[in-house]
Amino acid sequence: MTRLLEIRGLSRRFGGVSAVKALDLVVDKGELVSLIGPNGAGKTTTFNMISGLDRPDEGEILFAAEPIQRLSPEAIAARGLARTFQHGRVFANLSVEDNVLLGAHTRLRAVRPGWPLVGPLAELALALVRPQAVKTEEEALKAEAREILGLFGDRLTPRLDHAAYSLSYANRRRLEIARALALKPQMLLLDEPTAGMNPTETAEMQALIATLKAQGVTILLIEHKLEVVMQLSDRVYVLDDGAKIAEGPPETVRNDPAVIEAYLGHSNVGATTPSAEAVAT
Amino acid sequence: MSFNAGFQFNRLVRPAILAIGLCALGSSAALAQAASGEPVTIGVSGPLTGQNAQYGAQWKKGFDLALEEVNAKGGVKGRPLQYVFEDSQADPRQTVAIAQKFVSDPKIVVELGDFSSTASMAASSIYQRAGLVQFGFTNSHPNFTKGGDFIWSNSVSQADEQPRLAKYAADLGFKRVAVLYLNTDWGRASQNLFSEAAKGYGLDVVASEGYQPDEKDFRSTLVRVRDAKPDAIVLISYYADGALVTRQIRTVGLATPIVASGSIYSPKFIELAGDAANGVFTASNFFPGDSRPEVKSFVDKFRAKYNEEPDDFNAVAYDTIILLAAVINQYGTDRTAIRDGLAQIKDVPSVIYGKATFDPQTRRVAGARAVYLVVKNGQFVLWDGKKPSAT
Amino acid sequence: MSSFIDYTVNGLVIGNIYALLAVGLALIFGVANLINFAHGSVYTIGAYIGWAAITFLHTPLPVTMLIVFVACALVGMLIERVGLRPLQGKARIAPLLATIGLSFVLDQVVQLVFSPDPRAVPSDLPDWRLTIGGGSIGAMDILIAGVGIVSAALLYVFLRFTKLGFAVRATAQDREAAQQMGVNVNAVNSAVFAIASALGGVGGLLVGMYYNHIDPAMSFQATLKGVVAQVIGGVGNVPGAIFGSLLLGLVESYGIALFGTTYRNLFAFVLLIIFLLWLPNGLFGGRSTVHTEPLVGSFIAPSRPLRVPRWAIWALALIAFALPLATGAPYLLQTLTNAWLAALLALSLTLISGTAGQISFGQAALLAIGGYASALLAVDLGAPPIVSIPAAGLITSALGTLLVFPAFRLRGHYIAIATLAIGEIVSLVILNWESLTRGAMGITGIPPLSLFGHEIYSARAVYWLCLAVVVAMALLQSRLLNSHFGRTLRALREDEIAARSYGIGLDRYKALAFAFCGFGAGVSGAITAHLYSYLNDQTFNSQLSLLALTMVILGGMGNVLGAIVGAVALVGLPEIFRVAAEYRILIYGVALLLLIRFRPQGLLGTV
Repeated sequence: MTRLLEIRGLSRRFGGVSAVKALDLVVDKGELVSLIGPNGAGKTTTFNMISGLDRPDEGEILFAAEPIQRLSPEAIAARGLARTFQHGRVFANLSVEDNVLLGAHTRLRAVRPGWPLVGPLAELALALVRPQAVKTEEEALKAEAREILGLFGDRLTPRLDHAAYSLSYANRRRLEIARALALKPQMLLLDEPTAGMNPTETAEMQALIATLKAQGVTILLIEHKLEVVMQLSDRVYVLDDGAKIAEGPPETVRNDPAVIEAYLGHSNVGATTPSAEAVAT
Repeated sequence: MSFNAGFQFNRLVRPAILAIGLCALGSSAALAQAASGEPVTIGVSGPLTGQNAQYGAQWKKGFDLALEEVNAKGGVKGRPLQYVFEDSQADPRQTVAIAQKFVSDPKIVVELGDFSSTASMAASSIYQRAGLVQFGFTNSHPNFTKGGDFIWSNSVSQADEQPRLAKYAADLGFKRVAVLYLNTDWGRASQNLFSEAAKGYGLDVVASEGYQPDEKDFRSTLVRVRDAKPDAIVLISYYADGALVTRQIRTVGLATPIVASGSIYSPKFIELAGDAANGVFTASNFFPGDSRPEVKSFVDKFRAKYNEEPDDFNAVAYDTIILLAAVINQYGTDRTAIRDGLAQIKDVPSVIYGKATFDPQTRRVAGARAVYLVVKNGQFVLWDGKKPSAT
Repeated sequence: MSSFIDYTVNGLVIGNIYALLAVGLALIFGVANLINFAHGSVYTIGAYIGWAAITFLHTPLPVTMLIVFVACALVGMLIERVGLRPLQGKARIAPLLATIGLSFVLDQVVQLVFSPDPRAVPSDLPDWRLTIGGGSIGAMDILIAGVGIVSAALLYVFLRFTKLGFAVRATAQDREAAQQMGVNVNAVNSAVFAIASALGGVGGLLVGMYYNHIDPAMSFQATLKGVVAQVIGGVGNVPGAIFGSLLLGLVESYGIALFGTTYRNLFAFVLLIIFLLWLPNGLFGGRSTVHTEPLVGSFIAPSRPLRVPRWAIWALALIAFALPLATGAPYLLQTLTNAWLAALLALSLTLISGTAGQISFGQAALLAIGGYASALLAVDLGAPPIVSIPAAGLITSALGTLLVFPAFRLRGHYIAIATLAIGEIVSLVILNWESLTRGAMGITGIPPLSLFGHEIYSARAVYWLCLAVVVAMALLQSRLLNSHFGRTLRALREDEIAARSYGIGLDRYKALAFAFCGFGAGVSGAITAHLYSYLNDQTFNSQLSLLALTMVILGGMGNVLGAIVGAVALVGLPEIFRVAAEYRILIYGVALLLLIRFRPQGLLGTV
């Protein structure tokens, strides 16, 4: 099993507060690993550091065996890492199609020649001139975008030219994932993809993620909905207060006393309604 | 307003004007002093709004007074003289549009303005090519009249003014002067001319500070000036900014005498500078106390009409209308004839010049009169020849 | 050495005066998250009300101050109620532009009522002065300092320790949450504007008395300096505003000491840029926190652009080209030529501010760079216009991008202030670099336009040339917008964090956007220079930048056809209504306000 993502001794402090403390984490190719824990445990902060939006104070992040903790988000995206955001960040005034096409930005070769120095000017010139190679690539991408949107049934496809801000919340989250897929990522970071969704929407999303996993996409998932986590994950990491308190296959983690204490609570998740005592604890 | 109307208007109305004009001529004897018939129109391009709006307002007062006089005496060639004032805000974009408007309106026989050289010069080529005289009566930029033979100005040339200012400073007994000047094309050109002339009069320019038109605070500038140890401070300013500087010179405790260019001459200078104005020397082209008959008559009429004291801008505007009325009266309303008339006319009565005659080469008037003045007890009075005691 | 003390004292004195403005601005920014460009106008109104009270009612100073305080509080509440409250929930740029519109309207009203002539404001303060070093300070300096410090202190206490103060701070943090907690948010905003405006008005009165000079045009500089002081102190930070003002005063003073008076404003704006780049939170602002994640993070109004069919566009273009054949009226052609040149500026602005979302308040500087580049190439090196104009476009492209590059890390309001400052800096450099630009004297004798040896000066020929350039630029820009590059620029506008996470390098694309828009603006400035055959530092001023912004909003931000329509409307209409010339700026202001309120997406919709 090749290690796609490896995190060693990652730490991040904000002022006097340690958001992440000496975290070790591994994701192998093809795995779906979940990151769970109470709010403020450091999960999104970890994502930000992996995707380059934030710099760790200590530690290393290796992606496909290359250190990336000092790289910019653009550079990391170019290496095949795509992410979604906790509250959803679609390009609001752009159409559904445009959003997806932008996901593929790093893959464009004819449109964005990577020549040193003159590359940017060449890109500008190509946008004005539009030779055949550029047109072909753009057409190919549009076809691809339609395919990706097809994964969501008829949720997004009929709304191809609608502006993203006009979509329902669930559709916006789906669009975010479509955009991430357009990048053809080696690894996908999903930050609470089912947040704010009702059970039906959640089930749909869960099925989609399962499909992606089946297609071989490596996924690191932050989730609060434990059914989703338990059913999808190969392994689970539990964070609390910035530190890892447990790791392992879902069943192991579920029964870990420290995890129960910090996060799961004493009731059997989803099985019964919480008893009055459990609520009072 | 149809833009096509211009052409047809031309064809139909010219003969009509001629007819009316003849009638007017015929009846002018009967109607004695009154002008009648189709008015002769001067186009004015100037600031009515914007940063320089106050000067446009001063122009209007001068124009209106002059027109009353001209029209009471029978107008020009028996027809009333009038102006149409287009607000350019002294913005070059607007002056060029206004220029096109004027040149294509056959009623406009001559153009006045604009206020700043920046604005006027942008439109010069339009006036020149169309053959309409652009009379920039406040444009003193040395290159203004070089725009062509239709570009004229009676604005006092700084090449005359500044040496006179330098001479006054020398006559007052000063040796070391610090110059504060408005950093516009007018101010900069003037400052250059002053510095050159100063050498000739044995003055040493020990400091030279240019300031922006909207500057309010001069304290630190004055420290620089003070440190240069001048005998006198020379101001190349307009009345508003001149007043600000003067006031602050006294407020910070500098007793250094002040000699200002004639452009500060205005009752507003004293109003704005308050007590600080007392003791300021200036060589002005225009002084209401001047005993010359043209000046007295202008000042009396201005006071009677507006109940206030006239300033330089009012005087120049008044002069300009009187001048143009004389040219039109003598040489006619044809645009080219007016240009030729400007070159030929001699000794037009003028508040500023006494008698105005143009130099056809430079298209400017030389020989502006100036009087040495000083402010005493809140009034401008003639300098009595006494040199100020050394500070 | 004693001079150093004098410069220091003077710096503190002028800083004192800036503080009166900065405190009010800081208060409003702190609460409404808004740079109030109308603050200077309230300052001016305060000065005039005070003048009127003294002249007609002969009130003693304390009573005058009270009258001004109350009157300006009311004006402030009016501004909030009429100009800003209706914009709650609209695009974030709306209140910013509304305050600009308001400043136009208020300044013009003052000018119409009181005439543009400066007036004296007599003061009944005792005449004593205190000598310090080689200079002195007087009773008015003490009074101004007193008002500044006391009001800042009172505000500080009010915000920290009173119930209403808590409400104010809560509203500033999170308006909806405060509302949920029972805070009457509207009353809070009203109160804040009232206090800030009252302070601003009293400031205007005191400063007017100090200089014995008030005029309707004093608001712009006042606002500008107040904004600079605020940024230095920490935007939204009231005590910080005082320190920022004093520091600004000192820097200006030392700048004058070292280099001379004409460098004063240059120092002020360079200081501003330095702070924006390295200390964006000012001296006292807190450290910046991680950005919150917006759902609709855009600065512009969301809308669908009006679909104008292809044939209609071609028809319009055809009519435009055919017009000079139908009527040779030079006035109409000149006006439209002005419109085409303005359209080039509007196109460049709509790309950078509309499409790429980088609000620019200094676009006129690009015109100046282009104009001077072409003029100097033609006059100093003898290059023919057919060479110098495109070259000027390229120079503007490069130089413009270089100048604004350091500001790329800024967002929202800050980039607006930065571009405003850069615009002023360009103007001041042109004024002071006399060996290159001839300074205030300007460059004369710029050769007229010519093509292959034939001079182009008839109204028709010039019209066609300018129209051709506009159409070409518009076509290029449309092509750009429809490409992936255009898409990328819009992503940049929508959400920088998401954009970066998908490989879009911010600096790269901002630079390219500025480079492209610099070309068009540079060519416009260059053509203008050859048309006017004379230019100086006043030819392209900052008011043009704001006018261009109005055009772009009128047309719809990002909308190519909209930019042209906006330019024609705002250049052409005032010419038609020349009779209302005195009200021109007033009408612009009202138009801007109405647009922002009722149709922020402009006539043709944003793209």
